[in-house]
Amino acid sequence: MSSPLSRRHFLQSSTSLIALPALESLGFRRFASAAAPAAPPKRLVFLGFGWGITTETWFPDIKQTGKDYKLPEGLKPLARHKADFSIVQGLWNKYSNEGHWGSTMWLTGANRFAEPGQTFHNSISADQVAAAKLGMDTRFASLQLNGSENAEASGHGPGLSMAWDVSGKPIGGHKGPVEAFHRLFSKDTTPIEQQKAMLAQKRSVLDTVMENAKAMQRGLGKNDRAKLDEYFQGIRDIETRLAKDEQWIGVPQPKAPIPQPQEGLAGKEEIKIMYDIIVAAMQTDSTRVLTYRQPVSTLLTSIGIKVAPHDMSHYHSTMGEKLAASQQRDLVQSELLAGLIDKLKTTKEADGSRLFDHVALAYGSNIRTEHNLDNCPTLLTGGGAGIKLGHNLVAPKDTPLCNAWLTLLHSIGVNAERHGDSSGVLKEIVA
Amino acid sequence: MSRPLLFSTTLLFAGGFCFPAAAQEAVVIQKKHRALFQETCISCHGPEKQKGKFRVDDLPFEIKDIESAERWQKVLNQMNSGDMPPEDEKQPTSAAKADFLDDLANVMVVARRSLGDQNGVITMRRLNRREYRNTLRELLGVEINVAELPPDGGSGSFDTVGANLFMSANQIEQYQALGREALEEAFAWQAAASVEEKLHYEAETTTPKVRDFVKYQIDARERAQKWVKAVEAAAAKPENKEIVAKIREEVKNNEPRFRREWARIPGAPDPFSFGFDKGQENDADLANDSLGAGWLKYHEYYTQMPDVDRGAYLGVQTRHPSQLNVNYIELLVPFSWPVGDYIVRVRAGAVKDCPPERRFLDFGIHARTGKVLHTSEITGTIEKPQIIEIPLTLTRGNASRDNRSLFFREKGSWDTNEEGARKRSEAVKRNGIGPELVLWVDWIEVERVPNANKPKPPGIAALDIPLDDKSPPPAKPALRAALEHFTAEAFRGRKPDAGYIDRLMSLHEVRLKAGDKPAAALKETLSVVLASPMFLYLAEPSADDKRRPLTDAELAARLSYFLWSAPPDATLRDLAKRGELKKPDVLAAQTERLLDDPRSSDFLESFVHQWLGLDRIDFFEVNRALYPRFDSGTKVAAKGEIHETFAHILRHNASLRDLLKSDYVVINRVLAHYYGIPGVKGDGYEKVSLPKDSPRGGLLGMAAIMFMGGNGERTSPVERGAWVLRKLLHDPPPPAPANVPAITRLAGKVLTTRERLLAHQEEPQCASCHRKIDPIGLGLENFDAAGQWRAEDSYTAIDANGKADPKSKKTWAIEPSAAFHRGRAFKDYFALRDIIASKSDAFARSFSEALIEFALGRPLGFRDEPLVTDMIEQAGKKDLAMREFIHALVSSKEFHTK
Repeated sequence: MSSPLSRRHFLQSSTSLIALPALESLGFRRFASAAAPAAPPKRLVFLGFGWGITTETWFPDIKQTGKDYKLPEGLKPLARHKADFSIVQGLWNKYSNEGHWGSTMWLTGANRFAEPGQTFHNSISADQVAAAKLGMDTRFASLQLNGSENAEASGHGPGLSMAWDVSGKPIGGHKGPVEAFHRLFSKDTTPIEQQKAMLAQKRSVLDTVMENAKAMQRGLGKNDRAKLDEYFQGIRDIETRLAKDEQWIGVPQPKAPIPQPQEGLAGKEEIKIMYDIIVAAMQTDSTRVLTYRQPVSTLLTSIGIKVAPHDMSHYHSTMGEKLAASQQRDLVQSELLAGLIDKLKTTKEADGSRLFDHVALAYGSNIRTEHNLDNCPTLLTGGGAGIKLGHNLVAPKDTPLCNAWLTLLHSIGVNAERHGDSSGVLKEIVA
Repeated sequence: MSRPLLFSTTLLFAGGFCFPAAAQEAVVIQKKHRALFQETCISCHGPEKQKGKFRVDDLPFEIKDIESAERWQKVLNQMNSGDMPPEDEKQPTSAAKADFLDDLANVMVVARRSLGDQNGVITMRRLNRREYRNTLRELLGVEINVAELPPDGGSGSFDTVGANLFMSANQIEQYQALGREALEEAFAWQAAASVEEKLHYEAETTTPKVRDFVKYQIDARERAQKWVKAVEAAAAKPENKEIVAKIREEVKNNEPRFRREWARIPGAPDPFSFGFDKGQENDADLANDSLGAGWLKYHEYYTQMPDVDRGAYLGVQTRHPSQLNVNYIELLVPFSWPVGDYIVRVRAGAVKDCPPERRFLDFGIHARTGKVLHTSEITGTIEKPQIIEIPLTLTRGNASRDNRSLFFREKGSWDTNEEGARKRSEAVKRNGIGPELVLWVDWIEVERVPNANKPKPPGIAALDIPLDDKSPPPAKPALRAALEHFTAEAFRGRKPDAGYIDRLMSLHEVRLKAGDKPAAALKETLSVVLASPMFLYLAEPSADDKRRPLTDAELAARLSYFLWSAPPDATLRDLAKRGELKKPDVLAAQTERLLDDPRSSDFLESFVHQWLGLDRIDFFEVNRALYPRFDSGTKVAAKGEIHETFAHILRHNASLRDLLKSDYVVINRVLAHYYGIPGVKGDGYEKVSLPKDSPRGGLLGMAAIMFMGGNGERTSPVERGAWVLRKLLHDPPPPAPANVPAITRLAGKVLTTRERLLAHQEEPQCASCHRKIDPIGLGLENFDAAGQWRAEDSYTAIDANGKADPKSKKTWAIEPSAAFHRGRAFKDYFALRDIIASKSDAFARSFSEALIEFALGRPLGFRDEPLVTDMIEQAGKKDLAMREFIHALVSSKEFHTK
């Protein structure tokens, strides 16, 4: 992505004066509507369900590995897709220690106590690693979706979404389908002039520190100049990001392929519509990286369950209606996921192939059942996931969950060396 | 050489400034190993055959370039992994192989250093996290949390080494955000400078809550019993036989679960009608729970204690704290109270027969995560309580309930649920009730200390324009002056170009136009200064890359960032401006002044932490079941002992030898009790003389050092031995080689530590290092994994399910006698310590080398050898007094050179 007028160019030549905000958007117009790429792009989707699942009836028998496993009760609604997803067992985040945090470290694998003296630390989530690469050509580098309820009640733990940025800070998400729909398909109401002014302000901050850096650079020897170059590179990277923002100023939103969702949807209906929005976001190539922190609490209410969600996950102490609620939840979630996979299969890309074939999708939680954080429930699907589909894969006990994330990252062309506490890719499942 | 090394700067730098072209450090493998090569390698890797395309006959015994270093490394790796010589070929003798590997591994370490020698060049660096925080503090008078910045160093060098301190886009944005936060904080402190607040809380507020809860529990239990009876009566009816049998089968005869199904049993009453309301859920759960009346006895015991009507006891957790809390006293600092300095007071006493180990009171913020900030010993009684004062700073970060709720709790009573529950059930076994109540609190108080009379921090003083929104935005000339003064202050005396100020001015204007209030626009503008390179980098420009003497201002910065991790203050800058600082006597006096200043604790703590590798202390959690006394408070105190001992030595300019062996310790009351050493009088750390036969005194006798040499459960003689070689004896073993085959035949066997370590002697690859490491570790085995003295040790095998098998338990008496490899034998720890203490020159070398790297921000090079020697010599004249090392370094040519 380089343009003869890009600011990067200005910055690289150390003698040129930085004029602000010199750049007209003329050079960027042609990027305005991202032309359909030759091959459909790869997408990465994470769906997280907080409080976990019913251990006894969700996991396939660990003795039946490979293709010929019996679909367990909790996954029955997915039967028609059995050849197109895999269950991976034995994964965990070894540092996780909070029994109520199903999403906080799910995609990061971080050690919350890694920072001496601090009580909370997190690191970049897998989706954001992907977004840094896949996000360059779309309006949204990534999209974070949340349930329209209190995340704590659904066992997700702290965080503003499932995404954490490169320095481990929480990234905000869109609450519920209406908000997500508007973000994707409604016109940005901030006047273009104001958007430009905000951008110009950010640039003039950069120009100011740049002025200072140049003054400092004078008189430095070769060694020290090389050190200061890191600072210049940092400024250039911010510039690149701003330049991308600028590309999209005034570019009209795509036409929504689905109707605007009703207000006030909750639980099962909400998830169903949000899945439609996820498909629509990919279909319009608005983004290629999505996370969705699904509601669990309202899901239960919406299917007439009265058990409190936290208590439900503690079904071992009472069994009875809590166990029944937990199993019912599994069925509804599986049913919803089956519906999403249907849509992914029927939605066609520009070249006629199925959207499903270009998606890597992970579905799970850091919590298994109750407060158990080992054998994190993990279902992988999508032809873009780069894995064998249709398998019950049993990894050695306590394999880093981040190995699965690393595998997915590689499959979509992000060749990270490691992620979180990963020790390598999941060789056993790589297709 | 006497201390004033610099007679005059002109003399030193006269006639141009250049270092002699130092000869390269010679890296030579001893010739004696040639025989081993001839006999075992050449036949396959010589002139005739070159298996694997590798020949060794032409390998130079002196390593001068990276290529030959890499070839030797290959030899080392192959032999370490046991791949060479192949099994079916002729083998060298074990002794010759061990000696060769020992020599080669060490030569490779030297080669790496020699080939990577930076020849004394110091790379410009940015401020590290600590310096950045301190620099903001000195500028704005506030301390902010910088934990979100990426950690520095971590690559095995000090966090002052410029080459390893990086910068990224994200960081630049973080600097601006943190700078903005610091400005917000500083402005808030200014705004609240004269605010006074005070809150007094009488602790007996707890008592009626406990009484009510006791009443409730008794009543609820009665109701539950009645309900149970009624359910059972209904279940006993013959017409219900069938459904009862069905339910019983479903619930596997579990009574509480059976009762949960009451609704299916005709005639069984609704628990709701007995007063049990669990909202949407099954009310039977509440009735079942009430039947047990958990901890009722303990709650009754509490209400029957004397003096509960004028104070509160600190007990254990019995119920969820939202129901009842007798574990700690909590006080929320009102949300309306501003940032600032506070004092927290507590009036407390202990019961008459309180055991000494239970006299400690923890203070902290947010009891659930339980971060302990302060521990004090309660010497007062309930009749004559004492008042303890604890200073506390509240910042804008202390904005939520989680970090504004102060708590007092008995030390170690509930650090974690697991540990608290364990102590609680032990007490129940003993007395049927629970842990005895021994600490009593009369009241607690929190008061804000106004700071209106303190001088304004330099950055704020430099502005000299209104900082609030009541006044109109400053006029242009006033704003320009404010920005000029602020930037000069922030850039440590360096004035930026006018163009830079112009840009700041226009930024400010843009913000105002965009609708910012005056204070907000000002903060936003100043935050850009705090993300600018002249603030972030410590530059010592030298356009042509020539080595040159530092300017006075640069010297001032180097000195203060060395000894304070903070920018030079007005005195230093003033001396620099007047050209006085380079005078040897002035420099020495300033060095003394900086070391006497409390800010020097940042230098000492971070230096000691990194040099001695103290991060290992936080790597492991102690196994509380094995070491119940090593709780959070003790661990904090034990870590503190290391730093306080160094601080004591620095303060009194005592000898470095005291760290190897001394007749005193620097401890507080917590440790005095842990060590069983009497004599601590005050509340903090103090010097206490040791009884004659004490194993304490010096680093080796410190609990935290010994804790580091283990994993919180078992000791690791290897870890301890290697640490002693690395840090105390300046004889570091080479880094642990990769791919050495593990000794597997011992797996699952129950062996003594000595027997286990002996296996290292079987394989030459292991022996080459372990013969040096292991004996020292064995000599320290009398210290357990939590640093307590012990006479015996035991081992219990773990079965396949991870359970200890008590039948396998083996106990043995510790036998600390051993001998240094090719050196002196020692019969016990005391003799070992004497030998180590006799090698204080090695320790002085280790200290000097680390100090040079830390101060100059670059790795030690071959050409630093004379400097190291000078430092040791100069300090040696004063019995290795700690400050002499620093003086020698500060007055050296290296310290004065870019």
